[in-house]
Amino acid sequence: MFPELNSILSSSPDSFRSGDFIVLSDRQADASFLIHHYLSFYLRAGCKVCFLGLVQSFSHYSAVSQRLGVSLTQAREKGQLVFLEGLKDSIGVISQEESSQSKLPLSYLRSPGAGLECLFKFVESSVSQNTENEDGEKWGPPVLLIDDLSVLLSLGVSAGAILDFTLYCQATICSELQGNIVILVRREEEDVDDEGSNLLQKGLIHQCSLALHVEGLPTGYCRDIHGQMEVWWRSREDAMYNQRKVFHYKVHDKGASFFARGTSSALL
Amino acid sequence: MLLNIVHGTESGGFIVVEDTVKYSGREILKCFINAAIKRGEDVHVLGFETSEAELRAGLDSSSGQKIHFHKGHPDPLGWTCKSSVTVQQFNTPDITRLVQNTPHTKAAVLIVDSLSFILRHHQPVVICRSLQELKKVGVVKTIVGLLHSDLHLQGVVKSVCHLANAVISVAPANNEHCGVAKTTRRTKSGKLMQEEEYFDVSEDAALSVKTRTHQPGHVQTEPDKPKADPTSNLTFNLRLSKKEKEAKEKVALPFVFSQEKKSALLRPTPGTGRITYEPDAYDDFDEEDPDDDLDV
Repeated sequence: MFPELNSILSSSPDSFRSGDFIVLSDRQADASFLIHHYLSFYLRAGCKVCFLGLVQSFSHYSAVSQRLGVSLTQAREKGQLVFLEGLKDSIGVISQEESSQSKLPLSYLRSPGAGLECLFKFVESSVSQNTENEDGEKWGPPVLLIDDLSVLLSLGVSAGAILDFTLYCQATICSELQGNIVILVRREEEDVDDEGSNLLQKGLIHQCSLALHVEGLPTGYCRDIHGQMEVWWRSREDAMYNQRKVFHYKVHDKGASFFARGTSSALL
Repeated sequence: MLLNIVHGTESGGFIVVEDTVKYSGREILKCFINAAIKRGEDVHVLGFETSEAELRAGLDSSSGQKIHFHKGHPDPLGWTCKSSVTVQQFNTPDITRLVQNTPHTKAAVLIVDSLSFILRHHQPVVICRSLQELKKVGVVKTIVGLLHSDLHLQGVVKSVCHLANAVISVAPANNEHCGVAKTTRRTKSGKLMQEEEYFDVSEDAALSVKTRTHQPGHVQTEPDKPKADPTSNLTFNLRLSKKEKEAKEKVALPFVFSQEKKSALLRPTPGTGRITYEPDAYDDFDEEDPDDDLDV
């Protein structure tokens, strides 16, 4: 969890707005530090978290979260975290018999044209199961994190089917249960005319209430500034409605710092 | 023109509200609902993208019975059986039935949120046909649809807009809180009218049109400031007194032809030559074809 980002977005684990749909996107840079931020943020806030890790192993997320001061293993044992390990589970889906896997969350691997209904059913059941911790207290509002959704495009699922899936997730988690969603998508290079990822990103931005876009510096590599992040407030309830702000950032070993453009400590 | 269309003073038909990621057109859609309720008309909402609560927020709560929300939102594809309407039911007979299930006294308005979602699940041809049929059948007076134009191919967007009697495209203005709406309306005679207007939607879904931009791309000029005179504090003189001005005007400029000068030059003087020309046999006087002496 990065306190500086919290102050930019004026939220904290104790008080954050529920019902938010947050889209993280990146181009020629890596926005996964934001996924780690939100994972530790919502676990600290005591939310019931469902994490679809489609691109890394559990131990990777666990090691990063350890540095940020949150234990994923403990959270999983307590029932606070439901982790879908896409890399590990996909082999099972592919090698199993046809008949037994029709209801598995990763069934899209076999029939990408059939849509993501099973994945949604998995998300829905995991946010509604075990809503209490061992002391009998309720977990906070449910949270869905996805890293990253563009992988599904490469696996043959159409952008429209992915947008249907996110619409269902939004309807269930944000509107019905007043929880939050954080989704990471990756964008191809500007000159590559990739219809799918373009459509997916635009469709998600239409749905979302906050968009964070991470990009490399347009002027090239720099040792002290790793890139820039654009914050776009899209919720009409926000005072900052439809405003965009650009910050420079630097990712450290344990956290990240954000600063207004031109105010890097290397310059001043 | 935007106000006229929203408040329904101009005839109904099919209206498309076109938006992009840069500015959401859903607020305009709410204005349509609000305006129709104020006119006492029944509003049928086919909501696939937003929840009922979200669309109702800000609308007059007493208008409850006037809005018929056909819930497609939590389950538009029928995965969980939570909704009363699925996207498969977007065809003329089903919509006619939905609308006629509720008795009304006055003409009804159908709001579609959004056409983009429906376009994802039906062929554009099917949608265009359904819309055309709905217009003809006349169960609803007005159909208003929201279209996210950046999610579709240009051809699809254009063919849907072709059906519409009015297209409202919204975009952000420089000031973040208001937007610019470009309205194109086709009158019954087939004439196209276009106008660009700044608009703002208040919390209670009331539309206010602010200033009008007369031409596309017209930049608002700032109110004229008193211009500073750069010649006011000079160490040398740039101005002429009245006397100096008169003296200046009296001076004849060297190369200006006055009447006297002209007549002096044109008067024939003795001893000047004259040119006479007598054509010989080789001269060609044929005006028709000046090149006939060429060997081509």
